[in-house]
Amino acid sequence: MTTKHFACKADEVPQDAAKIVTVSNMPIGVFRLEDGFHALLNICPHKGAALCEGPVCGTTRQTDSTEFVYDRAGEIVRCAWHGWEFDIRSGEFLVDPSVKTRRFDVSVEGSDLYVHI
Amino acid sequence: MFIVDCDCHNYWCSATVLEPYMEGLFKDMFVRGERTGPRGAFPHGHRPWFHPEGFARHDVNPVEEDDNYLIMKAKHLDKYDIDVAILTGDEPIEASTLANPYYANALCKAYNDYLIDYWLPKDDRFWGSIVVAPQDPHLAAAEIRRLGGHPRIVQVLVSHGAARPYGDPFYHPIYEACAEMGLPFAMHLGGQGGINSTPIGAGPSTFFWETHAILPQTAMTHMASLIANGVFEKWPSLKVVVIECGVAWVPSVLWRLDANYKALRKETPWLKRLPSEYFKDHFRFSTQPLEQPENIQHLWAALEAMDGENTLMFASDYPHWDYDDVNKLHVPPAWREKIFGLNALDVYTRLPRPAAQAAE
Repeated sequence: MTTKHFACKADEVPQDAAKIVTVSNMPIGVFRLEDGFHALLNICPHKGAALCEGPVCGTTRQTDSTEFVYDRAGEIVRCAWHGWEFDIRSGEFLVDPSVKTRRFDVSVEGSDLYVHI
Repeated sequence: MFIVDCDCHNYWCSATVLEPYMEGLFKDMFVRGERTGPRGAFPHGHRPWFHPEGFARHDVNPVEEDDNYLIMKAKHLDKYDIDVAILTGDEPIEASTLANPYYANALCKAYNDYLIDYWLPKDDRFWGSIVVAPQDPHLAAAEIRRLGGHPRIVQVLVSHGAARPYGDPFYHPIYEACAEMGLPFAMHLGGQGGINSTPIGAGPSTFFWETHAILPQTAMTHMASLIANGVFEKWPSLKVVVIECGVAWVPSVLWRLDANYKALRKETPWLKRLPSEYFKDHFRFSTQPLEQPENIQHLWAALEAMDGENTLMFASDYPHWDYDDVNKLHVPPAWREKIFGLNALDVYTRLPRPAAQAAE
C-alpha cells in the first residue's frame, strides 16, 4: 500500500534540474519532464551519493559506428558524484538496468505535488 | 599433457640470412646501408637501455645457423615434450622502430619468407607468426593478405612498442586484414626505440631491470585503447594475444576501465558491453614471465580475477634470460591443461587438436 505525501508546490519544480524534498524522512528528487512529473530516491545505488542533484541532460545513443547521436535530452540524470547515468522515468542505470534507484509515483492536485510512498 | 608454447624464439646468428629474400633498393640498403651494429645486425632504432648480459641464456651458444634449431630441439622442444611451438622470431618485430615504413615492410616480408622457407619445414611442431610493421597499416594489411592464408601461419605479430595506442583507427586496416584471414593479432614486448618513443610514461627510466619490470605499462595502453575504440565491435571474431607483458596487472586495469565506463560511456556510444567483458572474449595473455610473489595465493587471486583459467596461455620465451620452465610454472593445478595447451587451440584455430581431444 502506498500513501500520498505532500512534497512541494508543482511550480517549484524546475525544467532542468530536480527539486530536492524530504518526504517521510526520505530524500527525494522531483523532476519535470514533457510527459509530467517523476520522482526518484535521492540516493545513488552506487555509493549513496545525492543522485538527483547531478545534471539533468541527454546522452549518446548506442551506435554501430563512430557517430555521436545526442539523444534523450532532459530524460537522464547523472549522479552528482560519479556521473552514473539514470533514466529519470524508471530509475534504471543505463549501463546495467538491474541497478536502479527507487522511483515513486507522483500526482498533482491543484498546485500541490504529492509523491506516493 | 598437451603443451603449446606460445612464445618460442627462432633465433639467427646473423640477420644476413634475410639477404636471399630481399631485392632491389631495400636489399642494397640492407647489405650496404648503415645499421645498428656490425654486419649481421638487424636494422632498427635502438632503445636507450642495454641488457647488461645480453638477452639469450648463456647455455645457448649457436655457432652455425643450423645450431639454432638443433639447440632449441635438444634443450627445449624434446626436453620438455613440447607439442606445438609458436615461433615468434626475435629481432624482426624491431622493424616497428624504423621511420621508413617501406624499408620496415621490406624487412618484415623478407623475414616472413625466410620463416616459411627455412624454419617451418624443419619440425612438425613449428607454427609461424608473420611479423608486420604497423607504422604503415596498409602495407601491413597487404602483407597479412599475402601470407595469411598459409596453413602453418597462426598469427600476426607486432612489437608492443608502438608510435600510438593500437586501438587508434589509424591501425584498423590491420584488424580488417586479420579478421579477413582469420588470424589473431599478437603483440610481443619489444620495439622500444626509434619512432616508438614513448614506451615508458613520464620519460625513460634508468636501468635495464627497472625498465623491463615496468614495460607492461605500454600493454595497458594498448588493451584500454583496443577496447575503447570499439575494435571488437567492428571485428567480433578478432582475438588479441599479449605476449611477455606480465599478467597480474590486468585485473586492476580492468576494474578501472569498468568503473570509468560506467560513468562516461557516452564518450564511446559504439560500445555495448563493459570493458572487462570485451577483455574476456577477445584478449589472451601469455604467462611468461609469470609474476612470482612470496605468497602464491596473492598471484592466484589476481589470475582468478582475470578469468585466467580461460585467458592465459603458456609461453616459455625460449631462449631468453627470463625463460619460464614448463615444470615450474605455478598456476592453479585445475587450470593446467587449459593454460598449457587447450586455450591456445581456441585462439590458433589452425592447430590440429590432439588425438585425445579430437576423439571427444
